[in-house]
Amino acid sequence: MVGLSVGEKHFIQGGIAQDLRTDGRKRLTYRPISVETGANGSARVKMGKTEVIASVKAELGRPNSSAPDKGKVSIYIDCSPTAAPQYEGRGGEELSMELSAALRQCLLGGKTGAGAGINLSSLSIVDGKVCWDLYIDGLVINIDGNILDALGAAIKAALSNTGIPKVNVASTAPSDEQPEVDVSDEEFLQFDTTAVPVIVTLTKVGRHYIVDATSEEESEMSSAVSVSVNRQGLICGLTKRGGAGLDPSVVLDMISVGKHVSEQLMNKLDSEIAAAEATMEEE
Amino acid sequence: MEYVSPEGLRLDGRRPLEMRQLRAELGAVSRADGSAVFEMGNTKVIAAVYGPREVQQRSQQLNDKALIRCEYTMANFSTGDRMRKPKGDRRSTEISLVIRQTMEACILTHLMPRSQIDIFVQVLQADGGTRSACINAATLALADAGIPMRDLVTSCSAGYLNSTALLDLNYVEDSAGGPDVTVGILPKLDKVTLLQMDAKLPMDIFENVMQLATEGCKAVANYIREVLIENTKQLENRRGV
Amino acid sequence: MLQNKSFVRKTKQGKVIKVVREHYLRDDIYCGASFCQNCDTKSARFSSPDSTILVVDTNVVLNQIDLLENPAIDDVVVLSVVLEEVKNKNLAVYNRLRALCSNTLRRFFVFSNEHHKDTYVKGMVGESPNDRNDRAIRVAAQWYKNHLGGPTRVLMITNDRENKRKATEEGISADTIESYVKSLNQPALLDLLVQPHFSEDMEIEDLRPSKKKVIYTEHKPMSEITSGIRCGIYHQGKLRVNRYNPFEAYVGSESIGDEIIIFGRGNMNRAFDGDVVAVELLPQDQWHTEKSLSIAEEDDEEDDSIHLAPNSADDAPRITNLPQGSSINSNIAPSRPSGRVVGIIKRNWHAYCGSLEPMAMPAGNAGIAHALFVSKDRRFPKIRIQTRQLGNLLDKRIIVSVDTWDCQSKYPSGHYVRTIGDIGDRETETEVVLIENDIDARPFSAQVLSCLPPLPWSVSPEDLSNPIRQDLRHLRIFSVDPPGCKDIDDALNCTLLPNGNFEVGVHIADVTNFVHPGTPLDSEATQRGTSTYLVERRIDMLPKPLTEDICSLRADVERLAFSVIWEMTPEAHVISTRYTKSVIKSCAALSYVEAQARMDDSRLMDPVTIDLRNMNTLAKIMRQRRIERGAITLASAEVKFQVDTETHDPLDIGMYQIREANQMVEEFMLAANVSVAEQILKSFPQCSLLRRHPSPTKEMLEPLLRTAASVGLDLDVSSSKSLADSLDQAVGDDPYFNKLIRILATRCMTQAVYFCSGDLSPPEFHHYGLAAPLYTHFTSPIRRYADVIVHRLLAASLGIYKLPTIFQDRPQLTSIADNLNYRHRNAQMASRSSIELHTIIFFRKRPTDTEARIVKIRANGFIVFVPKYGIEGPVYLTMRGEKGGGEWVVDEQQQKIKKTDGSIAYGVLQSVKIHMEVVEPQPNRPKLQLSLI
Repeated sequence: MVGLSVGEKHFIQGGIAQDLRTDGRKRLTYRPISVETGANGSARVKMGKTEVIASVKAELGRPNSSAPDKGKVSIYIDCSPTAAPQYEGRGGEELSMELSAALRQCLLGGKTGAGAGINLSSLSIVDGKVCWDLYIDGLVINIDGNILDALGAAIKAALSNTGIPKVNVASTAPSDEQPEVDVSDEEFLQFDTTAVPVIVTLTKVGRHYIVDATSEEESEMSSAVSVSVNRQGLICGLTKRGGAGLDPSVVLDMISVGKHVSEQLMNKLDSEIAAAEATMEEE
Repeated sequence: MEYVSPEGLRLDGRRPLEMRQLRAELGAVSRADGSAVFEMGNTKVIAAVYGPREVQQRSQQLNDKALIRCEYTMANFSTGDRMRKPKGDRRSTEISLVIRQTMEACILTHLMPRSQIDIFVQVLQADGGTRSACINAATLALADAGIPMRDLVTSCSAGYLNSTALLDLNYVEDSAGGPDVTVGILPKLDKVTLLQMDAKLPMDIFENVMQLATEGCKAVANYIREVLIENTKQLENRRGV
Repeated sequence: MLQNKSFVRKTKQGKVIKVVREHYLRDDIYCGASFCQNCDTKSARFSSPDSTILVVDTNVVLNQIDLLENPAIDDVVVLSVVLEEVKNKNLAVYNRLRALCSNTLRRFFVFSNEHHKDTYVKGMVGESPNDRNDRAIRVAAQWYKNHLGGPTRVLMITNDRENKRKATEEGISADTIESYVKSLNQPALLDLLVQPHFSEDMEIEDLRPSKKKVIYTEHKPMSEITSGIRCGIYHQGKLRVNRYNPFEAYVGSESIGDEIIIFGRGNMNRAFDGDVVAVELLPQDQWHTEKSLSIAEEDDEEDDSIHLAPNSADDAPRITNLPQGSSINSNIAPSRPSGRVVGIIKRNWHAYCGSLEPMAMPAGNAGIAHALFVSKDRRFPKIRIQTRQLGNLLDKRIIVSVDTWDCQSKYPSGHYVRTIGDIGDRETETEVVLIENDIDARPFSAQVLSCLPPLPWSVSPEDLSNPIRQDLRHLRIFSVDPPGCKDIDDALNCTLLPNGNFEVGVHIADVTNFVHPGTPLDSEATQRGTSTYLVERRIDMLPKPLTEDICSLRADVERLAFSVIWEMTPEAHVISTRYTKSVIKSCAALSYVEAQARMDDSRLMDPVTIDLRNMNTLAKIMRQRRIERGAITLASAEVKFQVDTETHDPLDIGMYQIREANQMVEEFMLAANVSVAEQILKSFPQCSLLRRHPSPTKEMLEPLLRTAASVGLDLDVSSSKSLADSLDQAVGDDPYFNKLIRILATRCMTQAVYFCSGDLSPPEFHHYGLAAPLYTHFTSPIRRYADVIVHRLLAASLGIYKLPTIFQDRPQLTSIADNLNYRHRNAQMASRSSIELHTIIFFRKRPTDTEARIVKIRANGFIVFVPKYGIEGPVYLTMRGEKGGGEWVVDEQQQKIKKTDGSIAYGVLQSVKIHMEVVEPQPNRPKLQLSLI
């Protein structure tokens, strides 16, 4: 999609090889990140020119029989045609699917919900009967590479901005019936996002890998590995994209670098989120 | 339901003839040739313009003028009630068409034969008056892209509730089931390019309501003009003129 | 102007929707003081800078609205936060508060604090909405204090201790309502105060708390009720108390699709008529046994009084279940389920009219007395009140409001609102009738009167030249009405055409030419809905100049009319119908008696008389045809008073006589209404106002069938036609028998109601009594608002005028129809009460012997109907309280009551001689008593 000349390609690759990227960054430096949170469990994250919005809505639902003690989280990503004309009509579907799937792998763990980055047990209200269904919608507005990391950050910010209404369960309900729940419209519980991982994508260009690649850099990549890492430094999910195969040792290396970078990103993000919420309060 | 209190205040604290707060920002989408964010209160839309550029599908090419295309999409989270609609549902198609026709009427298409201009409008928050906000955003984005136009098109709606004409209905007022008149005008030429209404209304009241909506359009036009002038000044400054 | 915006976050039950709303704060909201230097004073209310300005909180408004309505309280700031809370909690109080705020004679000012930039407060983390609102009130009070400054004192009125304390801390003067009222030094005002819940000096019983026992079961908490209703254990519905037996109530429940009967105050569990309640069904074996219990339970209440004979099922005592006796075949399915109230979802408390139960003046106690108030409407229980003016109130009709009813009190407690006048005084009692029936008898406001055309009014040349108006002044038009009728809204003509057919015209006063939609006059008429006819006065729907002059189709003056004109064959077949606005000049305003006399006097051959005879012939054919279609000739016992023009006292009383002339006019009015109904429905299928009469259910006709069966009469009620036929065949030995059966049949049916055609499907439009598929009201626009609406619809259907916008708003149209039904019904109830009142006044000095008919057998006697005076009431064979009477036995099957030795027996429909006399068992409480001679 980005039409580059041979010279330009060499320039990009050469820059990465010398740890000085076209925009002046080092290989493991992020572009400026800005986070804005809205009133209704939503957040907008800008990484350079890449801009995404994520929104969280909570509904009451029934847990899956396979995981009665857990709530459910669905993630859907849309690519707005404003970002690029090729996403017009159904054009954005393929990318949307790919991003949704990658985010699910990074944040939600396996089918049973075991090992999920988002604590699904905290969404359970009455085991096997009532739980919260979280719907996470992401929208890509402006694309300049590294959408997945931006979406991951936006989801984390949106979750931290989500108030889940306090629910009182009527104690008298017989065990075989759906219990009565009373949703408070005054009291909210802040969703705990300390355990929610961040996503770091390492893009391999030539023999090196970089973080937060721009579209131009992505057009030169051979493969990319996205790692989701939580506060404790544990890896919560992993996806690899791109055609070229990777040597397992390189993968391990990339993961450990990702883990290292994630710490910086996490801190940066947390302070941005805190700042965004502070401005919200002032309004 | 009381939409206007005896004290003359609407539910959100506006008076009947007041518009919501407007906010606009140019150049929100880097890759587009022109883009704008336009907010009318809590209604927030992004418009991006790509073009004029080569026609993507040869069969659609017009030899005497530019091809204008438009797509309207609504984010899943834009309304209070979460919904996942397939793209291109009836309502979106209809609004896309309305925006395309309205914008087409003011773009000097004959200057750009055999080319294509895409207008994409994305609703981020819907709180009533999305149609108008989309048109206003599209106008700004077209201006940002430097597309030659006859005039700015601006739009605003007005309704009639509790026997009072109300400017710029928000979602709550819009859902009251009263008439909602959306007007689009070319302010300099003083011509109406868009007029839609979705309920019955007696002629004399309709005239009032339409007049009110037209006044609203003019106010929007003034605002848009200010934004554009301010933007141009900044561009000048950046160039060091 | 737009200052700021902030977000209000809220979730709703169910899908948990997040709502974000804009909230604009402004700097153009003014304080309402005319002496303020900074504010716009256009709509200011507070005029004196030395006054005390009161800032009231929500609970003060909710509890003390009666006090606020008293002119002694003024200079009140009503904050929008308070208005909003009041609106959510009690719409009736909200409307009263709004009325106070819009009344220019009072100094109540609405301050939109929620949108003022300086008084808006944002909820803090962990702060409950109540606390937030209290804080908003304090902030607003503070703002007023700083804003007005100078000699003006700003006083916050709150009974919330915490809020008052915080206010004082913040330097705001705050007081409770009690101490504020005390500071005014008007002891009578204290009676208006709603007493705080558990104050020490509240009830005499409270002095012995150990003796206090729980009388009613505790209401279930709301959460339990809602979940109970959801699982189907409880049923929700509006409680309706039997007008004739306050110990019996019904709750219409959608969940079981039937009415649930509630027997006894215990089961009603403190619910009032009109409350929305949650009901629990009783076990089936208890479904019937409760009835006898309930009446015996509280014999201090009178449950029998003489009243006007009912005209329809709506007026009649409800007969809910068959008297249960083991002898009767037990396979009769238990008629209806009974239940008990477990909780009250929405109270319908309002003010009640009545008087205090006679009692001795208490000694000491600082003049404070605890008295029991007895509502005139027997559906309501006695109400305990506290007063400092007992001596004044004992002989008065007063208005009282209810405040609380806890489960330890037999009766609810309330407070005095105002005095109407002396008990028994005709004017007082008439006012009571009006208040009880929610009839607005106030003079028309200046705004309304300003809508009237200037007087003297006459038809103008413009009217005559108006192309939509046909000049019919050349026609021989006349009116036939009751004697002394001043608001003549219909006139007739009947012209023989050269082809041998008749042109028959019905000309109706063109009220809509003067009452234009959207004017104050129109909205006043919409509210009033109908004129109310009391014995000695009429409460008009429209101002007098319209009703008696401008619109009234009087003789020998030119008037505007809306005409329905048919061409009819001599066999009364309609060949064509047309509708037109017209100008007419009536040549004679006849009374029924006059018209009848003219028709009967064979010597008279003048044109009017000939027209009358022709019309009468046509009317008879039409009537016959209608009856063949199945219309039911109903009968009711209408009485007519002759009233002294000076004193308004009744001079004579008697049955209203119906003549052929009445029936003739009625026939043409029916025909006009039917024609108009067809015309408007054709043009406006969705928004026409029609009138329907639902077919009576089998259950409703049950009492009629039972009575008929006991005298060996078999009525076929399968259709209106078959019922009409069997009524025709019901001829007994005496001439009155048939009429009596008809009267009994009539009272089994409900009344016809107005409705909006878009709300129902065409088969439901049917008018049972008239056997007409479509019917509406067109012919009395002077005294019925429904006809005004229909006039507008008809004019629009002819393309003369455009349809007013209101017709596009279906919910509003439906609510207008509902209001019309409500007003119509109230007007009838008021007329009946007025007649009952005058009946007592009439018989006060005239003990009378007369003939009566037994209509119902009871355990201790029977109910008789007195045809001559149209009243109905009990005759006791055993005295009240004489429980062991025993010498009389009731035969349910035969509907007879016999002496055990078989010497005397009374059966239903039997004629008996009775004595009527007004007695005063308690001072100032006169009542009519019937006894057997």
